[in-house]
Amino acid sequence: MFRPAPRASGYLHTGYGEDIALLQTRTERASLAVFAILLAVFPFLASPFALDLACQVFLASVGALSLMLLTGYAGQISLGHAGLIAAGAFTTGILAREISAPFWITLPASALTGIVLGFIFGLPSLRLRGLYLAVSTLALHFVVIYLGGEYETKRGFSTGIVVDPPRFAGIKLTDGRAWYFVLLAAALVSLLICVNLLRSRSGRAWQALHVRETVAEALGISVARYKLLAFVISSSMTSVAGCLFAYYRGFVSIEAFDLFLSIQYVAMIIVGGMGSLLGALLGAAFITVFPYLIEALLRLLPNVQKLAGEIFAVNYAAFGVVMILFLIFEPLGLVGIWHRLQNYFLLWPFRYKPLAGARK
Amino acid sequence: MTALLQVDNIEVVYKRAITAVQGVTLSVAERQIVAVLGTNGAGKTTTLRAISGFLGIDDARVTEGTITFKGTRIDNGLPHDIAARGIVLVPEREKVFPNLTVAENLAAPVPRAGSSSERHRLNERTYHFFPRLADLRSRTAGLLSGGERQMLAIGAALMCNPQLLLVDELSLGLAPVVVQDLTRRLTAIRNELGIAVLLVEQSAAAALEISDYAYVMENGRIVLDGDRERLRSHQDVQEFYLGQAGGERRSYRDVKQYRRSRRWYG
Repeated sequence: MFRPAPRASGYLHTGYGEDIALLQTRTERASLAVFAILLAVFPFLASPFALDLACQVFLASVGALSLMLLTGYAGQISLGHAGLIAAGAFTTGILAREISAPFWITLPASALTGIVLGFIFGLPSLRLRGLYLAVSTLALHFVVIYLGGEYETKRGFSTGIVVDPPRFAGIKLTDGRAWYFVLLAAALVSLLICVNLLRSRSGRAWQALHVRETVAEALGISVARYKLLAFVISSSMTSVAGCLFAYYRGFVSIEAFDLFLSIQYVAMIIVGGMGSLLGALLGAAFITVFPYLIEALLRLLPNVQKLAGEIFAVNYAAFGVVMILFLIFEPLGLVGIWHRLQNYFLLWPFRYKPLAGARK
Repeated sequence: MTALLQVDNIEVVYKRAITAVQGVTLSVAERQIVAVLGTNGAGKTTTLRAISGFLGIDDARVTEGTITFKGTRIDNGLPHDIAARGIVLVPEREKVFPNLTVAENLAAPVPRAGSSSERHRLNERTYHFFPRLADLRSRTAGLLSGGERQMLAIGAALMCNPQLLLVDELSLGLAPVVVQDLTRRLTAIRNELGIAVLLVEQSAAAALEISDYAYVMENGRIVLDGDRERLRSHQDVQEFYLGQAGGERRSYRDVKQYRRSRRWYG
């Protein structure tokens, strides 16, 4: 799933069940088990600050995965991602505020908003490509932000909408640890959806139309249908992330969804590595943690108090520099580095894969 | 004869992990037409890219060996730098600028001697070898046929005043009669201008027709080399590349056996 074949040392499958298994080798199962244990133990050891950071990473992962589906696999550039998150958050905020709708109504409602918006703003993709498509998706952002702003001012929530924490079986979800597991589950479900979509017909169709639309169409793939499908699925997942964001923060306001957020999501999939779900996860973690990392580094400097005002500017600048460095030196992103490490250990003690039929 | 281009024992590695060619040694003398033959994936194009400096685009590098042109090392050099030294590549695909006219395509290259009279002379020279291009002067290159495109690509390469012309798949997707015409013109270019040609070809028959010397590549290595007569009379080349079954039919099993043994000991 995350790695090019071969995963086992040979093709040893004897049934279809083994063929479609997500985890195929013992090493994979073992390493995943270790990772799962680490994830489960983490909230009981970490500080509240680290816990909040992990929650943010999970939220960003959902958004980054859905954007990866659309941009990294189906090849449709979108700059409207922040708008979609805002749409989900506002749907949740408005429903919770106006009719005090519970969690199990706002979540599907947010997904529905995403589906509708994804369909409408996917339509231009049937005619537009590349930069032109990016600009048309930018419109989505402005439309949503405008509508959200209008709602806020007309209803008198000019500072934002307060959202009460959701209730599960009578218990209010306020505890940081509980949120950690809820958001972890959300990220896991998104990952599973993406993995399974990508290894099925629709995923193959997206990858085909990404590379060459003409060939895809000639092979009987309805390009229009699958492009719209990519937009719809990606948008609804993003809106769900927005819904979770609204509940997690307990507060919805248009200021949280500026254009920079869209750029950050695009940065996540680029830094992580285009065309890789693992890349989306790595990118989400990297971009989320990065500003805190810069801040921590700045604190090491003497005379920090004087620098307090510049910290935002330094963060923006560092973000820009890191983006440029990645594009120049590692266009394949974090996942490229990961693959190179894997290759190194796979081939060790040799440096390169030998030629076919070579006598070594 | 001193070698114009000397490729010495090179190894090319893609993405810092995958070896594509290994131990490739070949040389092109002045005024010589040299062919590199082989099937798909044998490493012909990789070798050509190593010479022309186009490896970096695909995250590949020459990791071992040297490439020398007129006594200067050019391995892992920059494409435009190598072109300025006098090695000009005619690529396999996307060889012309489809949005420019034929005349603009010929004006686009940066010739090594830049004066306008020199440019004029080079232009006339191109039209001398490819009169058809003169008729098509104002046609958009994207509307040309495959053969005309190939002519235009070679013509544009000539505008760079090369000493060595690298031609990748001259015959790709072209009718045999067009290929014959093009090979004749390449020979004429060599004879009249003294430009050496390194030809990478799948069609052994077409390549052996005009080349003085040829190399056969398989699986990233050179397995056979020799002058035209030696290769033409070589039984394996006849059988696998020229499609002449020598004498009595051999069973398929023998052929497979043979191929395998070559892979190991070639």
